[in-house]
Amino acid sequence: MSRIIKRTYLAFILFFLYVPIVVLIFYSFNAGKSRAKWEGFSLHWYADLFQDAAILKALYVTLSVAVIAAIAATVLGTLAAIGIHAMRKRPQGFMMTMTTLPLTMPDIVTGISLMILFTFARIERGYFTMLLAHITFNTPFVILSVMPKLKQMNKHTYEAALDLGATPSYALVHVILPEIVPGIITGCLLAFTLSLDDFVISYFTTSPMVQNLSTLIYSKARIGIEPTLNALSALMFLSLLILLLMINRRAARAEKR
Amino acid sequence: MADMERLIDLQNISKEYDNTLVLEDINLYIRENEFVTLLGPSGCGKTTTLRIIGGFEHPTEGVVLFEGKDITHLPPYKRKVNTIFQKYALFPHLNVQDNIAFGQRIAKVPSAEIKKRVEKMLDLVDLRGYGKRRVDQLSGGQQQRVAIARALINEPQVLLLDEPLGALDLKLRKDMQLELKRMQRMLGITFLYVTHDQEEALTMSDTVVVMNRGRILQIGTPKDVYDEPVNSFVADFIGESNIYPGIMLEDQLVRFAGCDFPCVDKGFGHNQPVDIVIRPEDIQIVDMDAGQITGTVESVLFKGVHYEMIINAGELEFKIHSTVMQEPGTRVGLSIIPFNIHIMNPIPAENEEDMPDEIIEGDEVS
Repeated sequence: MSRIIKRTYLAFILFFLYVPIVVLIFYSFNAGKSRAKWEGFSLHWYADLFQDAAILKALYVTLSVAVIAAIAATVLGTLAAIGIHAMRKRPQGFMMTMTTLPLTMPDIVTGISLMILFTFARIERGYFTMLLAHITFNTPFVILSVMPKLKQMNKHTYEAALDLGATPSYALVHVILPEIVPGIITGCLLAFTLSLDDFVISYFTTSPMVQNLSTLIYSKARIGIEPTLNALSALMFLSLLILLLMINRRAARAEKR
Repeated sequence: MADMERLIDLQNISKEYDNTLVLEDINLYIRENEFVTLLGPSGCGKTTTLRIIGGFEHPTEGVVLFEGKDITHLPPYKRKVNTIFQKYALFPHLNVQDNIAFGQRIAKVPSAEIKKRVEKMLDLVDLRGYGKRRVDQLSGGQQQRVAIARALINEPQVLLLDEPLGALDLKLRKDMQLELKRMQRMLGITFLYVTHDQEEALTMSDTVVVMNRGRILQIGTPKDVYDEPVNSFVADFIGESNIYPGIMLEDQLVRFAGCDFPCVDKGFGHNQPVDIVIRPEDIQIVDMDAGQITGTVESVLFKGVHYEMIINAGELEFKIHSTVMQEPGTRVGLSIIPFNIHIMNPIPAENEEDMPDEIIEGDEVS
């Protein structure tokens, strides 16, 4: 009995969680413009999507920001993690708190504070500021995915390399990096995904002239939702879903080992 | 001053972590081809001493000389010593032969030569045919051998071993003890070995250095430290001991357990408080009227080679090892020949309490 209740409860949660998305995807294949009436299957909103110059430009901005921000955050985050790992206990604890703090901060606070910072520094908002913002909020995630790998390492492995004649930089490249590479890749994927996903921080750190997909959808939705946006949202949902599945699988595999 | 016999010379080494003194004025030299063991309980500073020689820690005070040259601040990769770490610290992403070849690749030895040397090393540590295995597919003993090969291939002048057998089971540990000793003799390499296992230290070493609370208590051959411990701590740590407070009445006469015993020690003065140490195997069980003191057998434990008996004699208890068992409850006499009564100066009280219990071992601080 209680099992049936549990199952039903779970089914309800999943239903309410996913039904809006399913509806959205469903109507992205609707031939007509309505979101209430099914007028037959069609892919023409998807076709329209790839002819809309504004959307294509936003797609380019989104992808390029995500790629550059993910790479930059991965480099910064990995180096930071190695540095923090080498610290003594107390400063290490302090640095890890400083790293996790931004994650718990609401996006809107991060977004507004970055906006104020850019204004204060007299940097004109646009592509570059959005990129900087994305690198900033991505870096802690990379640190947090690399750190467990460093902790897993035998603490004498690095010393063993030095002992055998390796300079610190040789040991870093030939001993430490190969050990933590799974964490680095996970961190990089995570950063890429979060960057694709982001709306709030991008909204506050870019100008109306440079828009990524999420800010574009937002500004278009204020005028009235076009069915192309359904198609766009469906595609974004799918690609993010795939990325997240990849990250989860990597994490699960890492745990098993 | 540069005594060529002294390969490594530690002079007045002190080390502090966060205002805690973990090494205090360590003076120690190691001769070529010597097998030296640092022995002591955990937290005694033995690992820190080893790490200072390896270059992973730098002393707060004092100098480290290697062949007469000051290497106190030389980084590890410029020292002619190699280390076997606790838990081996093999490189998990490399296979066995790449692990062993690691140091040779850095030294830019031609690859054909490396290949030859790796094969030779695999032979030496009895791992022929294991070259292509992943290191995590090996047993603990095999990983240990890879770690040894990885260090020895670089032909170090000194091999530092930090409790290398700690993770192995008893049987394997005994085999490896013999094997390490064999390699050390064969290759003519100086070994500096760290352990808390007194039996291991006595079996393998030429010289044993007993440490406690950051200080060296005694340096000597295994026989010296066993037979002539300098104080009751060393006596207790090396082998089992009965330790009692007593009074040195005059030369060659000591009083404890309410009885006067003839002994062989001299020069403690008159009526001085001393510690008396007697090994459990040095007390004879005799008939009640033939003994110097009498007591009752309280408990008997079978230990394999001998029985361990606790004899209650008034306010004192004696631990005795004997191959002849006495039934519990039996009244017996105990007799100790003068030669087997070891008289020591008591450990000054300040020694006991001047350091916190959780002294940081070197590897706890990274």
